Amino acid sequence: MATSARTAGQGLLSRYGWTIWIGILAVLVAQGLYSFARQRIDGHQLAGLDDTAPWGLYIAGFVFFVGASAGSTVIGLTVHGFGRKDYEPLATRAILIGLLSLAAAVTFIAVDVGRIERMFLLPWFWHNPTSMFFYTSITYYVFAAILLAELYYTVRLTRGSTEPRDRWMAKWLAIMAVPFALVVLHAPHGALFAVVKAREFWANPLLPPHFAVVALVSGLALVIPVAIVTSWLKKRELVGTHTLAHMGALLALLIAVTAVLDFFDWLVFAYSDKAAGVAAWDILFGSHLVLSVIHVGGYMAALATLFFVLRFRREWLVPGLVVACAITLLAVAGYRYNLVTVGQAVSLLPVIPVNEYWPSGTEISIAVGIIALTALSYSILTKVLPLEEDAPAQREEPAVVTGRLAPAGEST
Amino acid sequence: MPRYGMVIDLERCMGCRACMEACKVENNTPEGAFWMHVFRFEEGEYPDTKVGFLPRPCQHCENAPCVKVCPVQARYMQDDGVVLTDFKRCIGCRYCIVACPYGVNHFNWTPPEDAYYLDWDDPDLEKATGGAVPPYDNPDLDQPHGDRGTLVAGGGHYDGTTEKCTFCVQRLEKDLLPACVSNCPVDVFSFGDLDDPESAPSQALRSRRAFRLKEELNTSPKVFYVGQPPPSEEIRPIDIVSSTGGQ
Repeated sequence: MATSARTAGQGLLSRYGWTIWIGILAVLVAQGLYSFARQRIDGHQLAGLDDTAPWGLYIAGFVFFVGASAGSTVIGLTVHGFGRKDYEPLATRAILIGLLSLAAAVTFIAVDVGRIERMFLLPWFWHNPTSMFFYTSITYYVFAAILLAELYYTVRLTRGSTEPRDRWMAKWLAIMAVPFALVVLHAPHGALFAVVKAREFWANPLLPPHFAVVALVSGLALVIPVAIVTSWLKKRELVGTHTLAHMGALLALLIAVTAVLDFFDWLVFAYSDKAAGVAAWDILFGSHLVLSVIHVGGYMAALATLFFVLRFRREWLVPGLVVACAITLLAVAGYRYNLVTVGQAVSLLPVIPVNEYWPSGTEISIAVGIIALTALSYSILTKVLPLEEDAPAQREEPAVVTGRLAPAGEST
Repeated sequence: MPRYGMVIDLERCMGCRACMEACKVENNTPEGAFWMHVFRFEEGEYPDTKVGFLPRPCQHCENAPCVKVCPVQARYMQDDGVVLTDFKRCIGCRYCIVACPYGVNHFNWTPPEDAYYLDWDDPDLEKATGGAVPPYDNPDLDQPHGDRGTLVAGGGHYDGTTEKCTFCVQRLEKDLLPACVSNCPVDVFSFGDLDDPESAPSQALRSRRAFRLKEELNTSPKVFYVGQPPPSEEIRPIDIVSSTGGQ
């Protein structure tokens, strides 16, 4: 049985270590729940928000995790769309990351809204077709259904199903998930901000496609360390070095595209002669300088790290990838946070003073709790679900000839 | 059907904020909530400075961004042009707050019962005032109003929801003027049907040059300003009011 086989070969993830890990996560979840309960009783005044900055860390977390959820679908596409079977051991984990990231995103929204009990009536009972938020709320349900169906058929295949229908469904659900995640699910989250013409920092038609690319970056940057850490814990390679290098190259390409979009985004602001545009620029390079450096500097550092390990030091590939992914995730988080907060830090009218927003202890505590809950759910689900690495069939990597992909004819 | 609108004469306004006070008393808004706000600002360089005032109620836009973005249609416009909030429907997502170019919305960050100015249940309060404490609740606010016949007037100031100026919908239904209009000592406000050429706002607009806030956004506010040009980008706000209310 898959689970017992995993228990026997857990490497560093011993029963004792696993219990400690789960215990730490449970404590973090508990403190988050406590803070959430306090916020429910004493009101959102416990958050650092006010009427001039009504969206903050929760919305930044929401956007980050929706993006990660959408981006994780790229693994399924690589396996089924591009025939890269060496990625297959990551398929179930990537779907799980997608599902749990989506759940984390919805949880961030749930703790942010004032009337959580009414939130789930949307979109079924109350709806406004002109609201992007109404539209995105539909996509969560559809995307969750796609991912659950994909998970179901992938698990059936892992359990040894040879039915052509299962393979066909797993393949087409995985292929369909990508355009849905990027175009239907995540790009409209960019539009959620872009349609707000009151905020010059947001009212940017480039934002929806920008969001789609950042989603791929964050999804991939989340899956790569998961693959590496899982291999490390299990003392068994989940995917080979060549596959990791391929993922690293793909990540580098996506980061480069994002950086180009950021460059032109900021270039337009640098030339802005409107008061709101100038003010946003001043904030980005004033009180938000550290975050701006994390955002842009993070992309540059991640690109440099990836280039270095892929081109010159292949033996440092694994630590290099972990570092690059960690920096990338920080950079994306910095981008999301800046996007949400700087847009509101600019005064709407010259007469209205703006209180600068920084997250409160309660917000940080709840955000940590949600992230811990996501990690806890992932840890438990990967214990109980059959995963590809435990399946009997062995999959082969494409052959590598001196550090590059072998031409099609040379593949073993 | 009338199309309600307001004209604000900035030349007359002396910044007494009686309109803000009248709004608070009429609508029982909790601490930190200002459905009507008179911004005070300073412009010029010393010694050539001057103080200006900008009363800002909800602009009740014809093309209201808050109505467009509200995911549950809690924010809606009546046939008479008044933009209202259905408090039993609002989910508290605050999308209306970020979408409004005028900053008129207030979210109840603090449970309203914890954000009243006075503790109405405190027996010492009655002693201190010699029994002259009026009931806090304006009973009109707890009644259904408006086209939908729902709780839109703000009675109770519901926790976790967003609220704003209603043009005193409960008073309009009794053919009364909004509280800010009735209580201004120098007749800054003209309120009435913008489609009626004989109404007070139509007459006020006829002879004077008017502007609306942020006209470039095409929100078509139904609040017009006359008497002075719009505040420039160089003005300096004088006072800051916390919007979170409570302690």
